[in-house]
Amino acid sequence: MAIINANQTPARAAPISETSILGWLHKNLFSSAFNALLTFFMLYIIYQTVSGVLTWGLFNATFVAENRRECFDNSLTGACWAGVIDWFDNIFYGRYPREEIWRIDFGGLLLALWMAPMWIPRVKGKILVGVSVVTFYPFLAGYLFSGGDKGIFMQVMVAGAIVAFAINMANVVTGLTKNMALNAFLVQMLGQSKSSGKTRRNILLLLATVAFVVAFVWQMGWNVEGVSWTKWGGLFLTMVISGIGIASALPGGILLALGRRSKLPIIRVLSTGFIEVFRSVPLITVLFMATTMFPLFMPEGVVLNKPVQVIIAVVLFNACYMAETVRAGLQAIPKGQAEGAHTIGLGYWGAMGLIIMPQALKHMIPNIVGSFIGLLKDTTLVSIIGLFDLLGMLTSISKDVPWLGLHKEPLIFGAILFFILCFAMSKYSRHLEVKLSSDHKG
Amino acid sequence: MNDTQTKGQLASARSSDVMIEIADMNKWYDQFHVLKNINLTVHTGERLVICGPSGSGKSTLIRCINALEEHQEGDIIVDGIRLGKNLKNLDHIRTEVGMVFQNFNLFPHLTILENLTMGPIWVRKKSKADAIETAMMYLERVKIPEQADKYPGQLSGGQQQRVAIARSLCMRPKIMLFDEPTSALDPEMIKEVLDVMVDLADTGMTMIVVTHEMGFAKTIADEAIFMAEGDIVERNNPVAFFDHPEHERTRQFLSQIL
Ligand SMILES: Nc1ncnc2c1ncn2[C@@H]1O[C@H](COP(=O)(O)OP(=O)(O)OP(=O)(O)O)[C@@H](O)[C@H]1O
Ligand SMILES: [Mg+2]
Repeated sequence: MAIINANQTPARAAPISETSILGWLHKNLFSSAFNALLTFFMLYIIYQTVSGVLTWGLFNATFVAENRRECFDNSLTGACWAGVIDWFDNIFYGRYPREEIWRIDFGGLLLALWMAPMWIPRVKGKILVGVSVVTFYPFLAGYLFSGGDKGIFMQVMVAGAIVAFAINMANVVTGLTKNMALNAFLVQMLGQSKSSGKTRRNILLLLATVAFVVAFVWQMGWNVEGVSWTKWGGLFLTMVISGIGIASALPGGILLALGRRSKLPIIRVLSTGFIEVFRSVPLITVLFMATTMFPLFMPEGVVLNKPVQVIIAVVLFNACYMAETVRAGLQAIPKGQAEGAHTIGLGYWGAMGLIIMPQALKHMIPNIVGSFIGLLKDTTLVSIIGLFDLLGMLTSISKDVPWLGLHKEPLIFGAILFFILCFAMSKYSRHLEVKLSSDHKG
Repeated sequence: MNDTQTKGQLASARSSDVMIEIADMNKWYDQFHVLKNINLTVHTGERLVICGPSGSGKSTLIRCINALEEHQEGDIIVDGIRLGKNLKNLDHIRTEVGMVFQNFNLFPHLTILENLTMGPIWVRKKSKADAIETAMMYLERVKIPEQADKYPGQLSGGQQQRVAIARSLCMRPKIMLFDEPTSALDPEMIKEVLDVMVDLADTGMTMIVVTHEMGFAKTIADEAIFMAEGDIVERNNPVAFFDHPEHERTRQFLSQIL
């Protein structure tokens, strides 16, 4: 064959339609008369909507007023945000005693501080951070939010939580300043780097025990006033229910999914039955069952309060959905991965925990976060069984005498709140996905 | 069908310790009889090559040896331990027997170094520093130390297979099983993997290799066996096996792959 092109063809800049704004406009919006018409039509609709919303919600709206009457006096065509603003405390904290609200804020702050290290690159032991949050924070927060007498178990868990939190914070400091984990730092500081693994472990254990005793004695003096659960409500209650739901649905779902794939028939049948029963019933039914049936099963004298019943129902329900998500994720991992793991001597749990589950979870992130978003939104159903969660609070504004009949504004406000929460989750999941996949393929 | 067995009693040149002993072993997949009355002895340091048509049970046989598959009848004794329902035995056997698969089965979410140190750290309970040192030594041996921090997806097939070999070696196994280690590779990569395997054979490792690479088999193998439909049809030293096959089925098969 003859030589067609002996010299290399030089590269040229891309045509103008690919680079300039005008080119882009022409290509995407005005490529034909019909497209141009459509573009103008859509622009007109967008303009109408946005200006309408802004006029109603911002320009003509009333932000300060004593009651609905005053809103109308001020402007008939604008929103009456004054009602929502007047109810802010209720919307966010329910009927929690006003002088105790700091406890909720403090609890939230603790959680944020506790979890923050997971996003700081140089901090070591991120998994431990996650595990410590899930095991200890609920007890600390539980005591903080409900107060009153604490039994011995609660005291132990609160002391444990204090120690875990302190260790976590110290670990952040050593991670950031010395670039090492806290245990490595302590061992080095005490001049034990050369000792055997066993001595080192014993020294660390001793330190932890001392810290625990100190924390235990310290917390004995704590005494916060009891707040009945009937006063819990608003965004706070929504966050408690969905937070616990989110934190336990995934571990529960993983266990159920493994159970469903188990080789032992009893475990397999039980898991499958459990999953299928909960999945074929609407959440609202499960909620009603939880509030009416749990008391029958409980031993004499044990009374579960309503939020606890609801939380159990939400957790079980979502764990069953999560189980199916996890199972799908596990099925996508080729059998060779488990075999590869077995050939280097890993047993069932080793192969699952180190090789299969990490890969499966990575694939499942969008689905998992999708379930979390669903869970958050589904918690609004608890307002039907008489809890005043965010939605419950928002709808009660219209029954408050000064704001009688104020429906629209609270619901729109609620929609905005939910949108912010869900959108943030969804964006974060997208970010995780990109981050994890770029890690591996480079 | 076991008349060829007598011919196979060529004790290993190096040692006469029995490393693997398979006696009257049978395996079924449901109703399908995959392995029929298998008798096979492999001595320490011996290298065995297995050939045979697709579906003849070669993979199943070597997967039984490290208990990835259960057998229903007969005995498999590896390094003095009888394979059975005892899970402790299973875990022990698997640390002593390395395996290399046709499609590598590396862990895609871990770097090469993490792939290699996982077993030593979690199973052998080595310290991280020790495990990394061993891993780097074996990466040198398979000639890709510079890839340590990459992910499997970033390596060529030949490189991945060499990593897989190194991953098994990091566990310091007594036996290495290879299931068609080069048949998923492009021709130019086959040689780099075979070279590594020849080096390994020179260290005196006990090896069972399912392969149709005749040149390789003749260089390293002490013995070759031919399997068809779940039987061991012929067993001989590799030169005789490939040049003058005795059984009609062996002859036919070899004429097809040559
Ligand atoms: N998990 C299984 N369930 C049922 N049948 C199986 C299973 N695995 C393999 N078989 C069957 O057992 C027979 C032997 O399979 P095996 O994989 O051992 O063959 P092979 O000799 O390795 O073939 P190849 O050269 O194609 O790898 C085949 O007929 C196959 O269809
Ligand atoms: Mg095979």
